[in-house]
Amino acid sequence: MNPAAERRLRPDFIVRMIGIAFFAYLFFGFMLLPCLNTLTSIFNTRNAAGERDAFAVIRFFLAGTMGKFVWNSLKLAIALVITVNVVGISIVLLTEYFDIKGARILRLGYMTTMIYSGVALVTGYMFLYASDGILTSALRESFPNMNPNWFSGYNAVLFTMTFACTSNHMLFLRNAIRGIDYNTVEAARNMGANPFKVLWKVVLPTMIPTLFSLTVMTFITGLCAMSAPTLLGYNSINPEIVRLAGSSAADEAFPQARAALLSIILAMFTIILLTVLSAYERKGHYLSVSKTKAKLRKQKIHNPVANVIAHIYAYILFIIYMTPVVMIIIFSFQTYGAIRSKKLLLDQWTFINFFGKQDYQYLTSRGKYKTRVGSISGLFSNEATLGGIKLSFILSALAAALACVIVVVACNYIFKKKGKGSGLVLEYALLFPWLLPTILICYSYRTFFNSEAVWYVGNANLYLKENVRFLIVMAYTVTKLPFSLRMVKASFYSIDEELEDAARNLGAGSLRTFLKVKLPIILPSVLAVFALNFNALFTEYDMSATFASTYGTSYAMVIQAMCAEEGLYGYNVNASGRRCASTVFIMLVSGLILYLVYGVGARDLGERLEARDRRRKRLEKLRAAFSGKKRTA
Amino acid sequence: MIKLNDIVVKFGEFTALHDINVHVKEGEFFTFLGPSGCGKTTTLRTITGFIEPVSGTVVVKDRDITHVPIEDRNIGIVFQSYALFPTMTVYDNIAFGLKIKKVKKAEIDRRVREIARKVDLSDEQLQKAVSQLSGGQQQRVAIARALVTGPAIICMDEPLSNLDAKLRVQLRNELKEMQKEFGITTIYVTHDQEEALTLSDRIAVFNKGYIEQIGTPNEVYNFSKTEFVCNFIGDINRLGEGVVSAMIEAGADVDAGKHNYIRLERLHVNIPPAEGQLALDGIVESREYYGLYIKYYISVLGQTLKVIEKNDGVRIYEEGQAVKVVIDPRDIMAYEPGPDEVAQ
Repeated sequence: MNPAAERRLRPDFIVRMIGIAFFAYLFFGFMLLPCLNTLTSIFNTRNAAGERDAFAVIRFFLAGTMGKFVWNSLKLAIALVITVNVVGISIVLLTEYFDIKGARILRLGYMTTMIYSGVALVTGYMFLYASDGILTSALRESFPNMNPNWFSGYNAVLFTMTFACTSNHMLFLRNAIRGIDYNTVEAARNMGANPFKVLWKVVLPTMIPTLFSLTVMTFITGLCAMSAPTLLGYNSINPEIVRLAGSSAADEAFPQARAALLSIILAMFTIILLTVLSAYERKGHYLSVSKTKAKLRKQKIHNPVANVIAHIYAYILFIIYMTPVVMIIIFSFQTYGAIRSKKLLLDQWTFINFFGKQDYQYLTSRGKYKTRVGSISGLFSNEATLGGIKLSFILSALAAALACVIVVVACNYIFKKKGKGSGLVLEYALLFPWLLPTILICYSYRTFFNSEAVWYVGNANLYLKENVRFLIVMAYTVTKLPFSLRMVKASFYSIDEELEDAARNLGAGSLRTFLKVKLPIILPSVLAVFALNFNALFTEYDMSATFASTYGTSYAMVIQAMCAEEGLYGYNVNASGRRCASTVFIMLVSGLILYLVYGVGARDLGERLEARDRRRKRLEKLRAAFSGKKRTA
Repeated sequence: MIKLNDIVVKFGEFTALHDINVHVKEGEFFTFLGPSGCGKTTTLRTITGFIEPVSGTVVVKDRDITHVPIEDRNIGIVFQSYALFPTMTVYDNIAFGLKIKKVKKAEIDRRVREIARKVDLSDEQLQKAVSQLSGGQQQRVAIARALVTGPAIICMDEPLSNLDAKLRVQLRNELKEMQKEFGITTIYVTHDQEEALTLSDRIAVFNKGYIEQIGTPNEVYNFSKTEFVCNFIGDINRLGEGVVSAMIEAGADVDAGKHNYIRLERLHVNIPPAEGQLALDGIVESREYYGLYIKYYISVLGQTLKVIEKNDGVRIYEEGQAVKVVIDPRDIMAYEPGPDEVAQ
């Protein structure tokens, strides 16, 4: 080898070694070892006599007490697959396929779940339907005999999740149906099929691959459900894992091993389902063969009865989707008095749920009035709430950015080594967390790093005090890696290989080519991934619940705390109002992010330049009009 | 100017180029022509440095550049997709190479505007995104970008292939004019024989990693060195046994042991045969009307011969009409059959 080539190799070699070391540390240290520890801890149980009994928890499981949680999760998942698909397919067909009056408004309603989900949505539903909820209270005035606790347990979870989990349908199924070549519909109509026949025989079959993926995703969502079962009181796997994780051996038999077993069971289900899904996806899809696709035109329902029924159905769904949103927005601007009386009071408008503080006077049990200073406080004035928002903001932003950086570096390498061993190993390592339920990763972190025996983190207890924040960032990052990798990898595919050749031909080295040519191309996608990651993590509940501690109280935990009894001893007076304000704030943040990602971020340079031109022309016009006026004056 | 000496390129076990030898002269418009997968783009990428040959040398202006990095070769390239950077304006695309060479800002500006004027891009277009330009304008940007750094050679990889038919012809002419104006040595890759014939000073015809023939357009068309070349370039009739033996009987110098070919425009219908020419009886099977010319399918001695006649409005023959097909044996191109073929 000549000396010049050797010189070129050296920094490259060092960078490569650092890269390998980093990814190995990430994979072994924060994916494999903690999870393996959870797996082995199942067999690390002791019987009453203190002797090691490897299969104690398995026997315990087989004896039946734990089966309930697994069965409950399965029951929920199976029911959800049916209800979510029915509602999801309905809303997509009603807005995209059939000609329903007001479809655009309907679509906005059906899409509300995209801007609030998880704990924000569940608490929103509770604000309406719980025993002290607005709607329940209103209904009880008309039907005093009704059960105030009607909205709890299995039915409440199923209802809430049915409407909460249709976002994916609205994203993917909508795209699938819009991708249909309308000429195929016309051909079927031409051969004598009515709209419903066309739907059944031509349209739906092309959507089967999408529906299959959605079904698997819904099933996993059902199995791994966390916020709804916890808040609405349903004994499924995840809440039980969190409960056991916080329990001690003094209170019950080997809680840690039981939690580990449950999370491994969940992981097994997930792995099986995802294997089935990817095997199915690998089989290939129905691809549209047409080169000149015609845009789908909406189908009129000619039968008047069917048409009326379809409209009624569409608007009932709309009401279900919209009621919580509208109520939450309205009540976020109502005083605590109005909220407590469960009535909309037109003279009780306020911003106190968002900003500012007020004192509160309350009657003590001794019949005296006492004043609690600043006890009514807005979202951004309440220390606990603001603390949660800040913490979540920082941790989510850090994790979202970290995931993006890791994935971009990895993708650059994967594409350089296309199809070669080391690239594939890296890719699968980063996809690994996809196979594991979030709860398994979080539970594993919590137990594995809650000791001073982990040498590769400097024997520091990462669950202790502030350290937990680092653990949360790592958990957030690791769980977001698979999604980020898939998205960023897709954007790498859009880089024309000839661009790289062109840059090198014009004299650019590989770093410059990456920074000046490739990065600007993928940057919109990377920013989109960052924004979507941030959006998901900002109000994330499942992980927060697992790591909940004094130093790790995230925004979601704060929101959950707002559901606790309010106004006792003059504390927490406007918690419900703040909860509503919180949801409004989350909707605004999510809405803004989605707008930035799909609205602004999706524009290419040409569209941005055109928009700039238009702005300039408008400004010039304005200036001309203004100076013209001046002159006439 | 450019010399490729015994270039061999392998992709794993597969040999993409076998002993390629080409000598391109200064200022020449040189075309690599061949069907897809024949090795023409591989040869081009070897010259630009994207591919390193297993053996052989690439010499430019007497300097061996076989192992010189891509960025130090000073060879411009226009890609099939144009490879314009979508995140940059037209101006920034053209200025990219100059910026990397750390040319002063004012000088960059001067050179970008100068080259833009030459390829007919307006100042307004320079500020646009490449996606706002039409296909033809994008191609001009790609050419400007390749030329602005003042390369010794420019390579073009099927630069017209993603344009519509009309634009292709228009840009083909522009391309030729620009090359003449800049006087730059050009290597052009195409699978379109018409493009190759109209543009090139010389053509190298590729097949399965070998060069079959190097010559001027006239040489490769009228004096195709191999059977592949004569088949690949232009339409052609292969003469069947009946026609060949009829010609031999008439005393023509035709070898029945070879594959004999004749171009469509070298056959004529119903003209008085000149000396040495033969007239064969035939019946018009069908015809295709092209406007500029008419293509006849004429059944002659057990085979169908294709004949092109200028549409001069004088002679139009109907289906089923008996005609005389006039053939000149001197127009025949004959090739030895391959080792496993039998002569007709």
